[in-house]
Amino acid sequence: MRAEYIPCVKVKRQRVTDIVDTLHRRDVYSGMSMKPLRDAMLGAFTFFASPLPHDVCGSNGLPLTPNSIKILGRFQVLKTICHPRLCQYVDISRGKHERLVVVAEHYENNLMNFHKQCKPLCPDQVLQIAYEILEGLDYMNRHGMVHRALCPQNVLLDCKGNVKLAKFGFYHMTDRGADVDFPIGHPSYLAPEVIAQGLTHRSRSFYGKAPSVSGPKADVWSLGVLLFELCVGRRLWQNIEKNESFKFILNLGCMDDIVTVLAEEHGCLEVIKELPENLTILLRKCLTFLPSKRPTPAQLLDDPVLEHVSGLMEPFYKSISLFSSSLRSAHLELPDDITNLCKDEGEDYLTERAIDEVYYLWCLAGGDLEKELINKDIIRSKPSICTISKFILDDGQSFGQGRDRSFLLDDTTVTLSLCQLNNRLKDVAGEAYYPLLEDEQSNLPHSSSNNELSSTVSLPLIIRERDTEYQLMRIVLFDRLLKAYPYKKNHVWKEARVDIPPLFRGLVWAALLGVEGDIQAKYDGIDKDTPIPTDRQIEVDIPRCHQYDELLSSPQGHVKFRRVLKAWVVSHPDLVYWQGLDSLCAPFLYLNFNNEALAYACMSAFIPKYLYNFFLKDNSHVIQEYLTVFSQSIAFHDPELSSHLNEIGFIPDLYAIPWFLTMFTHVFPLHKIFHLWDTLLLGNSSFPFCIGVAILQQLRDRLLANGFNECILLFSDLPEIDIERCVRESINLFCWTPKSATYRQHAQAPKTTGDGSSISISSFGKTSIYLQSDYQDFTKTDLSREPLKLSDLKAELSPRISAEDLIDLCELRGSSHFKTPNKRAKVGKPKILAVDIRSPEDFNRGHISGSINIPYNPSFGSDGELVTCPAVNTLSSYRGRVIIVLSNMVKNAVMFATHLLKLNYPRVCVLDGGINKMKVTGLLTVPSPQI
Amino acid sequence: MKRNKEKVNVSEKDFVFEFKAGRQQCVLKVPLQFPVQENLNDLHGRFMLLHKIPCFVENDLKTCLSNFIERETNQDYDRVAEKALQSLMNSEVDISELTNAWAKTYSETTLEHSHPEEPSWDEDFADVYHELIHSPASDTLLNLEHNYFVSISELISERDMEIKKLQERQAAAMDTVMQELGKTFSDQDVNAVASQHFDAQQVLESKWATELKHVTGIQKQEYQEWVIKLHQDLKNPNNSTINEEIKVQTNQLTESPESGSCLFEEQRQLEESFTIHLGAQLKTMHNLRLVRSDVLELCKHRQHGSSGVKLRRLQTALSLYSSSLCGLVLLVDNRVNSYSGIKRDFSTVSMECTDFHFPRLEEQLDIVQQVMLYARAQQSSKLREQPELSRSSGAEDKNKNVDKKNGNILPGEFYITRHSNLSEVHVVFHLCVDDNVRSGNITARDPAIMGLRNILKVCCTHDITTITIPLLLVHDMSEEMTIPWCLKRAELVFKCVKGFMMEMASWDGGISRTVQFLVPQSISEEMFYQLSNMLPQIFRVSSTLTLTSKR
Repeated sequence: MRAEYIPCVKVKRQRVTDIVDTLHRRDVYSGMSMKPLRDAMLGAFTFFASPLPHDVCGSNGLPLTPNSIKILGRFQVLKTICHPRLCQYVDISRGKHERLVVVAEHYENNLMNFHKQCKPLCPDQVLQIAYEILEGLDYMNRHGMVHRALCPQNVLLDCKGNVKLAKFGFYHMTDRGADVDFPIGHPSYLAPEVIAQGLTHRSRSFYGKAPSVSGPKADVWSLGVLLFELCVGRRLWQNIEKNESFKFILNLGCMDDIVTVLAEEHGCLEVIKELPENLTILLRKCLTFLPSKRPTPAQLLDDPVLEHVSGLMEPFYKSISLFSSSLRSAHLELPDDITNLCKDEGEDYLTERAIDEVYYLWCLAGGDLEKELINKDIIRSKPSICTISKFILDDGQSFGQGRDRSFLLDDTTVTLSLCQLNNRLKDVAGEAYYPLLEDEQSNLPHSSSNNELSSTVSLPLIIRERDTEYQLMRIVLFDRLLKAYPYKKNHVWKEARVDIPPLFRGLVWAALLGVEGDIQAKYDGIDKDTPIPTDRQIEVDIPRCHQYDELLSSPQGHVKFRRVLKAWVVSHPDLVYWQGLDSLCAPFLYLNFNNEALAYACMSAFIPKYLYNFFLKDNSHVIQEYLTVFSQSIAFHDPELSSHLNEIGFIPDLYAIPWFLTMFTHVFPLHKIFHLWDTLLLGNSSFPFCIGVAILQQLRDRLLANGFNECILLFSDLPEIDIERCVRESINLFCWTPKSATYRQHAQAPKTTGDGSSISISSFGKTSIYLQSDYQDFTKTDLSREPLKLSDLKAELSPRISAEDLIDLCELRGSSHFKTPNKRAKVGKPKILAVDIRSPEDFNRGHISGSINIPYNPSFGSDGELVTCPAVNTLSSYRGRVIIVLSNMVKNAVMFATHLLKLNYPRVCVLDGGINKMKVTGLLTVPSPQI
Repeated sequence: MKRNKEKVNVSEKDFVFEFKAGRQQCVLKVPLQFPVQENLNDLHGRFMLLHKIPCFVENDLKTCLSNFIERETNQDYDRVAEKALQSLMNSEVDISELTNAWAKTYSETTLEHSHPEEPSWDEDFADVYHELIHSPASDTLLNLEHNYFVSISELISERDMEIKKLQERQAAAMDTVMQELGKTFSDQDVNAVASQHFDAQQVLESKWATELKHVTGIQKQEYQEWVIKLHQDLKNPNNSTINEEIKVQTNQLTESPESGSCLFEEQRQLEESFTIHLGAQLKTMHNLRLVRSDVLELCKHRQHGSSGVKLRRLQTALSLYSSSLCGLVLLVDNRVNSYSGIKRDFSTVSMECTDFHFPRLEEQLDIVQQVMLYARAQQSSKLREQPELSRSSGAEDKNKNVDKKNGNILPGEFYITRHSNLSEVHVVFHLCVDDNVRSGNITARDPAIMGLRNILKVCCTHDITTITIPLLLVHDMSEEMTIPWCLKRAELVFKCVKGFMMEMASWDGGISRTVQFLVPQSISEEMFYQLSNMLPQIFRVSSTLTLTSKR
């Protein structure tokens, strides 16, 4: 009885966010991602980009971008085009030898099936098809695209018989056919002006002139031919040679009535004459020879001919994106009976996921595009040895290579089978697709599959990212959390600590950086076109920034790079462009390739948080302080390495500036940056020091063994770093670092407005809050650290910590410390040992409980070793703890700390302001006389 | 040049927007370039910002702007399109030429409209062989190949014996003639005898050459027929005899005696391997190997016997039609033939075993010669089209042109032959070098080095994943090649190859490769180790993986 009762409660506890989300899913196309798969299938087709001529350089002296990369870059925008009449583009991938494979929404049924029946379609149906095609065309046109390849094979029909245009982005992604060898479009459906303008491919350009461009009206002609064929039930120009059919089309210009001429030519005048009048008018309008007299798709949609069809269609509303000024849930209404929402039992939950999610999971479940295409005999490659050329000139031109038939275009779309994926996910329970966010319990494993998943969490990140079920859970969860952003911001933080699903990384990062508001309007308002002096430098840097990556090396990528960087420079007049800003921009641009505004917003939020004032025109004081704190961090964590590096003069200035100025984006490839930043974004602004130390520690053996020159060489081309280990170790290092040890006076000043982020999150009570809240976030008190002059700071090898930290770490005020949240766990804190180096008399007059007394004066012998005494034994037995040196003279404390460093004591730091600071707190204790 | 072309279509139009602010009538007039390159939102944002447009007309401006751009763009499209149609009407452009061009493009580039493919024997055989060699029948195939090889070797040793005998006889005859010189025989007589001997040798050699050609021809035909038949039989499961045959043969093979005849040969080879990482941020892993060996050792087919030989042979056969081929760079002079030097030696080696897949070396070279002539014709016609190009690089090319006319190849150019009968190589790049490479001072711009670059490029486009390069750009050592010369040359080649390999990552997306650097057999061991010390300094050798951590 109980068991039945519980789910009931859950449904009741489901709050409005959950229901709203359900509504989103079912009734409106989701704004964040693509529409659900539903009855659609995933299809893939392949083609070759034309190869580049040998050794031709661009105007900037760099090698030309391969055409396949150009296409890949131009393809990206197609993913954002969502319309019920257009097949959603999902992905593109590059294969060997300039091969491209495109994945898109697909249906097996298309207009060709009508032709197989060889009989005319009923006029009403033709009109409806015409209207739906026009809707799709119009939507494309409004996004500046032209179909150009309209033909029956590319007009797909979904299960309800509605039109879905396929391959509509072909013309766009190939730069109007310039990047491929084959012409775009089916020969029978080419408009006369398209034929007259000649071929567009550069090497084949017929006139030797600039390739001309087709406008939206070319599609209207194709539509006309297509509708004509549907009306008469047969295909045009099937039995004559292609060049004859082209001639025929071109000669139609001399005819008065093209429809009649076509009908006569194909012997179907009778059928045409019997057509209803509005259909004949439509045909005549479409098949107008002169483009200036032919209507555009938009004009046709408003045409009275289609009036009675247009009334039947539901209008399409574009969904609202995550970051926008309008209300995302304004049009949502709860149905009268909520139970309707929970009705659909036995539904295929997977197909309710967005298309790109399903495709992502399909890939994880072992999907291989090329294999699918090979199985369907679309990819037929010859053995390389059979196609090798015979003779190569000194300029690399090759001869004697047979024409390879396998390079011909075969754009048949192959359906990708979801069997393997469904099989993989068959044990995933239905509830898993709709987790309840408001329910604390829901995060705990309750079904059998979830038990497995909770064990997956402990696996290495690389494995988790490849695990289909696990990723499904994460995707579902994050999808819902992000939809409820910023309301669910804290929850996003909490889950991001576990890991971030790669599919949503861009948005999750934005959420972690606290991006909010109408970012698009803000971005649009920035003038990115007017030339500025920095342009030249940006222009030089972009073609050298992460160019191994296909997206970022594409011309589209460069354009976006330029715009985002310029927008940042223009909108931050107090800061300047320093080389390295390009690298910093790269991960954001890569993750938000289709959303420049978000990339810009993330970058603008990231820089003040982690690189405050690094991009000042004169940033030397900021950088110098940063590097000094970094070298103190090295000394704090690894005294041996620090001594060695100082000895050989290998100071951070020589290698670490690009590390920190670019937050490691200059040294690591993107996939490593992602994993590093997943953690970095959860940490505060002093986390980078720990990353730096962790990198040095991975190279420790080599650094210790080598002198200055070898170290320089080693860092000029940084060896492979195990990034997972680096992340793990830097978290560990971070936990051992007292917060005030990395205090910088040039860090970002505390936020004046009580920004909720740091405070509200601490209520989760996990150890990792320690990671997140910034030292600078706390209000400054007398017990905080005082700024030091840079020269003084540089003179000290060990970091100082504040009295506040000491109090906190020694737990002198117990758990009731005013700034520490109650639930702050002890495990998060490093163990410490306070060493009081005042004279024993002073020590006895009052000291911190638990501290040991090693008077400064007699403590070090002539050999630099500590003179043995009981307190020194204690010290050496607690080696590894954080050692805080207390004194009434800070200078002595610093000297003492330096001595300890030389003895390779790790984690030595000095109390800022000395014991005097503690005196005012009244926390010093006097030992009872008998001891 | 490209830019000029594009400018033709650019036009400027004024966008006019009127609005009322209070009682004031305001007009915004902006010249816009068509076709519009910028994003509409950006343009709009910039107008608002630069012209300080009040925010209450923001939306009006946007609609107005987008309508204007749409209208004008469509008009531009129409104008261009009708111009093209008009020029057709006025017969400025030949209609049939245009339509033929379209029809030709369709038939050349799309499968749907292309002419059906004529079946090609080579490719069918390739498929069949690839399938068989990856089946249990592979052993049988190898053994058959080996048997053929043995019979050819017998023939060759017979030939050598006969030629040797003839030479001995001739030497004896010559001796007697020489003794009698000045007595019974005059100088003329000696010359006559010498030429007679020479003729006799030629006759004998050509007799054997035809004999060999004949035998290999028969072998190849038999082999190919047998392979096709085997394939058909294997497809047909009812036919069990062939399966048993294979089994029987397999058994025979395992019993084959292990003779250590080749052991001492292998010992002379020195070898060292390295794993390197290339690239600034994204790194790709490659294998490098420094080998001291004779270049033809990689080609020579040996008797099955020592265990490694057969495995190596199998490996080569398995990958023949795969996408991981092995290549070798052979340095040749400027003539496409096999009459002298290393070319002759290579030809001899390639003849030692019948090539069952590709034409014989001679035939391949004939084809190369033809292709080369065709290439030259193409080149010169191109030069005629672009006279300014030829003028700029005129004077120095004079001797090049002489070579071109003679039908010779130039330094840095190379031709490619394919082989299935060499022990570790599928593809041989015959790179033309001149005497410069023997001198000390060649630079990174030397044609030989550029040739290496082009070779690596072909490796990328044709899936050659293992390539062997003569490190010093010579096959044998001579007096002038001192230790400093060797070190300097090795450094140059290492550095250039490293540069090319980094470039390759952008050509093929960073596929892991093996590059073997070959040094002549005759260099000292000390020298070899000096070179192997140099390699890790130039390439970044990856650190050893530590399995135990300190903490």
